[in-house]
Order: sequence, then structure tokens, then C-alpha cells
Amino acid sequence: MPKSRRFFSARVKRDLLLPALFIAPALAVLLSLSIYPLLYSVTISLQQQTSTGVNWTFGNFTRLVSDNFFWTAMAHTFVYAVVALACEFLLGLGLALLLNKQIRGRGLFRASLLMPMMLPTVVVGVVWRLMLNPNFGAVNGTLKQFGLDTENLTWTASPRLAMLSVIAVDVWQWTPFVFLVLLAGLQAIPQEPYEAALIDGSSRWQTFRHVTLPLLKPAILIVLLLRTMDLLRVFDQIFILTEGGPGFATETISLYIYRTAFRFFDFGYAAAMSFVLLALTNIISAIYIRFLQARETV
Amino acid sequence: MNHKDTKNTNQASLRALRAFVVKNLHYAVLLLAILFALAPVYWMLTISFKTEVDHFATPPPWFSFTPTLEHYYDAFVTRSFGQYLLTSAIVAVTSTACALVIGTLAAYALARFDLPWKLNRHLSLWILSTRMFPAIVTAVPLFLMMRDVRLLNTRASLIIVYTAFNLPFVIWMMRGFFADLPRDLEEAALVDGDSRIGALVRVVLPLVSPGLAATAVFCLIISWNEFLFALVLTQTDAAMTLPVGIAGRVTQYEIKWGVMSAAATVAIVPILVFALALQRYLVRGLSMGAVKG
Repeated sequence: MPKSRRFFSARVKRDLLLPALFIAPALAVLLSLSIYPLLYSVTISLQQQTSTGVNWTFGNFTRLVSDNFFWTAMAHTFVYAVVALACEFLLGLGLALLLNKQIRGRGLFRASLLMPMMLPTVVVGVVWRLMLNPNFGAVNGTLKQFGLDTENLTWTASPRLAMLSVIAVDVWQWTPFVFLVLLAGLQAIPQEPYEAALIDGSSRWQTFRHVTLPLLKPAILIVLLLRTMDLLRVFDQIFILTEGGPGFATETISLYIYRTAFRFFDFGYAAAMSFVLLALTNIISAIYIRFLQARETV
Repeated sequence: MNHKDTKNTNQASLRALRAFVVKNLHYAVLLLAILFALAPVYWMLTISFKTEVDHFATPPPWFSFTPTLEHYYDAFVTRSFGQYLLTSAIVAVTSTACALVIGTLAAYALARFDLPWKLNRHLSLWILSTRMFPAIVTAVPLFLMMRDVRLLNTRASLIIVYTAFNLPFVIWMMRGFFADLPRDLEEAALVDGDSRIGALVRVVLPLVSPGLAATAVFCLIISWNEFLFALVLTQTDAAMTLPVGIAGRVTQYEIKWGVMSAAATVAIVPILVFALALQRYLVRGLSMGAVKG
């Protein structure tokens, strides 16, 4: 008995030593640069600077409740995420369905559609500041050529159009991604169910509803999950395009946290807000993942 | 009679035309989509080559203007964009190399060893979850940590942060590529008396090298494009990356559109080369290995 146990532990040691050595560096990096900062952030969020020193308190979290700027930024984030996600999904799905056939010059068109999503987000911001500039932008310039009055179309500078503008830029950049993922999903669907539907005399809509959509569901969920996570944390393009302005019109939660931390140097409050954002993205991704797993076990 | 004939042929040709349009409708849509995707970028390109007078010309000149390189000279010789470019390159290459080495080892262990307590699955999911944090959540504590160890405004701070940022991505991509590989090959090598590490280096790594290259290119792009951490951690000319340099010019009161476009155009060039190189793996990479496009 002791002998076999010794044999067992020796075997375990030998078999686990190598994978442990392989995984250890990655684990060390992630623990010190992802997990530790998070814990550090918890302690920051529970502190407030006072004239006498540092106070331990829940003050940063209670302050959230009555901070109108915070809730407005939250509302902006939701509007931005929901509208952009809907547009990107519907456009991407439409394009994927339309183009799910043999196409000549496939590589060329894929490379061109790649362009927007591979660009640095800062460059996307620059591109669209140039496009939407009221004085010399190509958008207003082109509209003018068609005889339209562009006097009031100041896009990112207008309180009413600014949100629409930043959403449109996101749609421009990310629709190709949704399209490419859904196209890959469509092309992975086998032919048999379609032949069966044809024999059953299903209409095109019925075939789409009962064959295409269920089989495409995993790809749809994955692309929606990835886009939602990105949309909720959006920062870069808006920072370049409007800096959250004019006024507060396009301030999303990430921008408000950035401003709180690095303009007003209120790190505690910024950390508290970032936990609300973290909780939110976690809950939403958990819901998506539950849907994904429900699909897999069926 | 004659009249009816021409009418018939007219109708026939009309029908043929309609059939042609319907059959090729997807090409029309495709062309339109490509136009939408590329025209704005082309517009920026023209701005970077136009004189300032042409910037404000109406109607906007898309093709007919006298090209000039003055903005490029201004950006990269007169101003410090050359230095930002160098910093971007150093940070991207170094952090990619670190993430690849550390990540590939971990990915191999997760893909090929049977760890106890379902650790393969739990660890993988935990690693993925660290990537799901919104960047701003870790940006605040990372700024304070880097300030405490006096690494603010250094390239080292960015290399460290980008290595950690790219690691989950490398692990998930490479885990997928290792899993795609039949185990027989390594087992054959092991039977032949090769050690586990020998089998990894001599048999497995050569076979996954296309995947490794694709993953590397992705990391380079992600680091090259990254903005928020760079903005938070580097504010001096000596340490800032190209995106931060460009952003600094955009938010100034008086904007030099030509200089900015020139810098942004240069920032695109490596991305273009890379994106063309890994088209085939693009969807897979952007979905962290979830979709094998």
C-alpha cells in the first residue's frame, strides 16, 4: 500500500512537473498584471482622500447613486451599444445572406472589407474627423454637390447629430467583421437540410426561419457577444471624434471614468465606477454564454 | 410586322438585361460595400498629399490635385512622429515576442497534458476571462502601479502591459492550433525516444508554424493599434506611441490636418501588409479562435 502510493505520487510529480513549468510563466504574468490590478483597484475604490489622510469608506459607491453624470454616461453607453449592435448585425446578416455564393475575386473583396476593422481606432477617428468636417469634409462636400443644404449638418459638433455620427463610425468599422463571421458560419452549414426543406416545399422565409437561423445560431451568438463587449467599453474613436462632447452628448462610461481618473485625479471614484462597468459586462457575457451552452448540450 | 419585331427584340433584350442585373446583383452590392469601406480611407490619403489650399477647395477634389510631400516632411522630420513610430515598432515587436514564448508554452500544456481537477478547462476559461475586462478597468490601477515603480513614460511599461494583454489571445489561438494537430505525431516521436520538449520543438512547433505566424501578426496589430493604455501610461515625446502622438495633435485647438493625415497614413502601412498576409486566419483571430473561418 505505501509502496503503490509512493509510486502514484512519483508518477503524478513527473507528469505534472512539465505542464506546471509550461503554465507557470503565463500564470505569473496574468496574476500580477490582470488579477493584482483588479484587487488593487478594489482597495482604491474603498478609499477617499481627505485633508487628514486616507479614509476607508463606501463613499465612492454611494456617490454613484446620485451622480447624474454617471447615469447619463451609462444611458449613452447603452444607446450606443444597442443601436450600433442592431445596425451592424442586420447589415452584416443581410450582406452575408446575399453574398453566400461562389464569388470571383473573393480574396480581393475580403481584403478590402478588412480594411476598416484592421485600422488603428485612432486612425478611424482621424479618417472620420476629416470626412465629417463641416468645412472641408467629403460628406458635406458631396451632399452639397447634390444640391443639399449642409448649413446645419455639423455632425460631431452638433449636440443632436454627434451621437448618431459616432455610432455611424462604429457601424462603418465593424459591420465587415459581423459579415465575415456570419458568412463563415453560413458556409459551414451542410447542404442536406436545405435539400430536405426543398422537398418539403418550404418557402424561402420558412427555410430561413427553420433551417438557416437555428444552424447559424452559434456564429450569431459569438459575434453578438464579441461586439457587445467591445461596444460597452468603447473609448478610442469617441475620444478622437468628440472627446465626449459637445458638452456631454457622447460621453460614454469609459470616457467618464477616464476623465474622472486622469483629468480630476479622483482614482477612488473612477475605480468604483469601473467595477460597475465590469459587473455589467460580466452579467451580459454570462447571459450570452448560457445561451451558447444551452445550444451545445441540445 | 417590322415594328413588332423590334418591339419583341427590345423586350427580349430588356429581359436579358434584367436577368443579367439580378444574376449579378451581388457583385453590385459587393462593389458598393467595398466603395463604402475604402472611400473614407482614400479621402484621408488625399488630404495627406494635398496642399493646405486644396484641403478647403469646393467641390472636394478626390482625384485632381497637385500632390505634395510637405506634410510628411513636417510630421516626420520637423516634428517627432519619427520617434513615435520607432517607439510603436519597438513596443509591438518586443511585447509580441514575449507573449508568444510565454503563451505558446502554456497553450501546449493546456492542449496536450491531462491536468487534474479539470484544470485544462477551468484554467483556459479563467485565462479567457482576464481578456474580457474592459481596458479602462485595469488602466486606472496599472497607472498607479507603474507610477509606484517609476515606470511611467517608459517603453518598458508598455511592453509589460501589452505582453499581459496579448497573452490570453496567444494562449487561446495556439491552444486551438495544437488541438487541430493529431496526437499520433508526437506519440510517434515519444516512442522513438524523443523527450517531451524534443517532440515539441522538433515535431509540433514546425507543424503549427503557420498558426504561430498568424498569431504573431495578430499580436503585432493589436499592440500597434492599442490606444488607451498608451495614452494613460505615456505622455512624453520619448515614450509615446504613434496613436498617442496622433491623438495629441487631434485634440489641440488648432489642428494641422495634413500632418495628422500623414502620420495616420504611415500608421496604416504596416497594418495593410499584415492584414493581407493573414486574411485566411482573420475571422478565427478576431473571434479568439471561436470561429474557424
